Amino acid sequence: MIGQRALQALIFASLLSAGAAQAAPPLDIKDFRGRVVYLDFWASWCAPCRQSFPWMQAMEKAYQSRGLTVLAVNLDRDRADAERFLAQFHPSFDVRFDPQGTVAEHFKVQGMPTGLVVDRHGVVRFTHIGFRPVDESVYEDQLREVLAEK
Amino acid sequence: MQLKPGARTPKANARRQLMAASCALLGAAAARGQQSGTAPADSGLLEDWSVDSALAYYHENGRIRAIEPVVDVSKVTASGQALNFNATFDSLSGSSPNGALTSHAAQTFSSPSGKASHAYTTAPGQLPVDPHYQDTRLAVGANWTLPFTRVDQLSVGVKLSDEHDFVSVTVNASIAHDFNEKNTTLSFGISNEYDRLSPIGGAPVPGSDYALFEKTGGKTKDGVGALLGVTQVMTRNWLSEFNISVDRFKGYLNDPYKITSIIDGAGNTTGYEFESRPDQRTRKSAYWENRVGWSGQFSTALSLRYMSDDWGIRSDTAQLHLHWSFSNRDRYIEPTFRWYRQTAADFYTPFILSTQQPATGYESADSRLGAFRALTYGLKYAQKLPGLGSRAESEFSVRAEYYQQTFEERMAVPAALSGLDLYPGLKAVLVQVGWRF
Amino acid sequence: MRLKHTAFLFLLCGTATMGGCASLGVQPWQRDVLAREDMRLDANPLDAAIDDHLYFSKEASSGGRSFAGGGCGCN
Repeated sequence: MIGQRALQALIFASLLSAGAAQAAPPLDIKDFRGRVVYLDFWASWCAPCRQSFPWMQAMEKAYQSRGLTVLAVNLDRDRADAERFLAQFHPSFDVRFDPQGTVAEHFKVQGMPTGLVVDRHGVVRFTHIGFRPVDESVYEDQLREVLAEK
Repeated sequence: MQLKPGARTPKANARRQLMAASCALLGAAAARGQQSGTAPADSGLLEDWSVDSALAYYHENGRIRAIEPVVDVSKVTASGQALNFNATFDSLSGSSPNGALTSHAAQTFSSPSGKASHAYTTAPGQLPVDPHYQDTRLAVGANWTLPFTRVDQLSVGVKLSDEHDFVSVTVNASIAHDFNEKNTTLSFGISNEYDRLSPIGGAPVPGSDYALFEKTGGKTKDGVGALLGVTQVMTRNWLSEFNISVDRFKGYLNDPYKITSIIDGAGNTTGYEFESRPDQRTRKSAYWENRVGWSGQFSTALSLRYMSDDWGIRSDTAQLHLHWSFSNRDRYIEPTFRWYRQTAADFYTPFILSTQQPATGYESADSRLGAFRALTYGLKYAQKLPGLGSRAESEFSVRAEYYQQTFEERMAVPAALSGLDLYPGLKAVLVQVGWRF
Repeated sequence: MRLKHTAFLFLLCGTATMGGCASLGVQPWQRDVLAREDMRLDANPLDAAIDDHLYFSKEASSGGRSFAGGGCGCN
């Protein structure tokens, strides 16, 4: 089951990025259990990521109260490039930094961007390679389906 | 795909191929569609359409002048399809070599239309050129790219080119398949071209006597081409592309306005005949390009091409582009250097000795089929500017190139002509401004 | 025969490139350099079209390129 290891990798990644500009507190595993996580892998040079960010922002706004957590893992080698991108979008969701790509490798990311829908028990239920605005309603339906579960 | 956006020969003809600038810009639309399903990565475009435009001015020493505006608009749809439309307008004027040899005596030529008022005389020792040359051309093209799976895409395109004495239609299609997590891309393309020539005064009978002015009506030629290519990501900084391509043209392949001088042993021009080329031509070429990003600011692109055809012409091309960006990638300069060499066609001959007719009956004095070396030196400067409307940015650029051809392999000439410059070569300058938004 | 020799060498390079392709390449998130505009095979298409136009009208060779591949590999 990928769930537990996924969350451990996330802890590892967040510990790596602790103390960085995002100033996220060290991650507690309890924070994610019981919540649906949309885990997104992105980079500043990836054009479809520019379209995925507004959508992820909208999803967070709409479904946070129902248990959705959006987690965007950045894969830029150079942090400054990521910061420049973030300055354009000002996301309110959680952003983590994985410049070595360890988390991406763990999740076998095959294309940029990649979005994974993780259910409340930590199981990866859906994976999309790439982001296409024309498929946004499909992505949203997947979230709603997993959010509806206990 | 083959890239011949449209001929601009000195005499608006002898266009052997017009295999797409639609291919060039087809590839561009295809690449953009493949890249992301959105506009190019760092263009910051929020609008649907992106526009690329340029105005080029070309001047060939003492001879041809041309102005060429080009505009290209592209759009990527939400589902990742790419649409592209482009238009090129060409206006050429000046003096165009008619193929005749320089002589110690003055030479008088009639114009292609046969009108007495357009006849012209060339002074002794000067290269014979037709001073009334003028041509305008309009070419339009459209391309559509459809990604039908995450790793496959199909592109189709059409191009139409129109001048007063020549019309050309080209259609092309290609497919590309990615694998190895998009590190490797295989592509295959085909194209088909159909040309109709309506030379002023009619197309001359190939090889016929110039003085007899034997002309027939319009002519046609058509061609097919195919290309197979592989693109491979070698490392994080290095991309390599390798293609092989072949094309074949059939029909009236002569330049209807070109003649060849007939001279006697003493070097006097005794007459002229219209050129005569085979009615078929098959070419094969191999192309290899390597792009390397050496640092955040500096990258290079080196390409090599080898071509050989069944007219006996072989050519080698080497081109190096350097790219230097500065001011946080807001500006860049791109120096270019190109080296080119070709051998002469089997039937190329700057003149015919009246004592010996060519064995095959084919002959042409068109310098494009001769043996020469050419060098190009170029420099481009570009700067990012605020975008139009809601676009994040635009780019303004200026580019200049110097092109020089030097002839090799001079044929033995009668002693009387040895003092004349029979192979003047060519020096040309291109200046261009561009705006992309 | 020169054509055969050179063509063979080119094919060898191409095949070696393809044959080694399983080990060549980068992870999808390592395409930052390839995503740059100057690293695209079709960078500056109008310049290329205008140049090709010039060379087509003055030389006996033309074309040979295509553009698919490389880039950010997104979607």
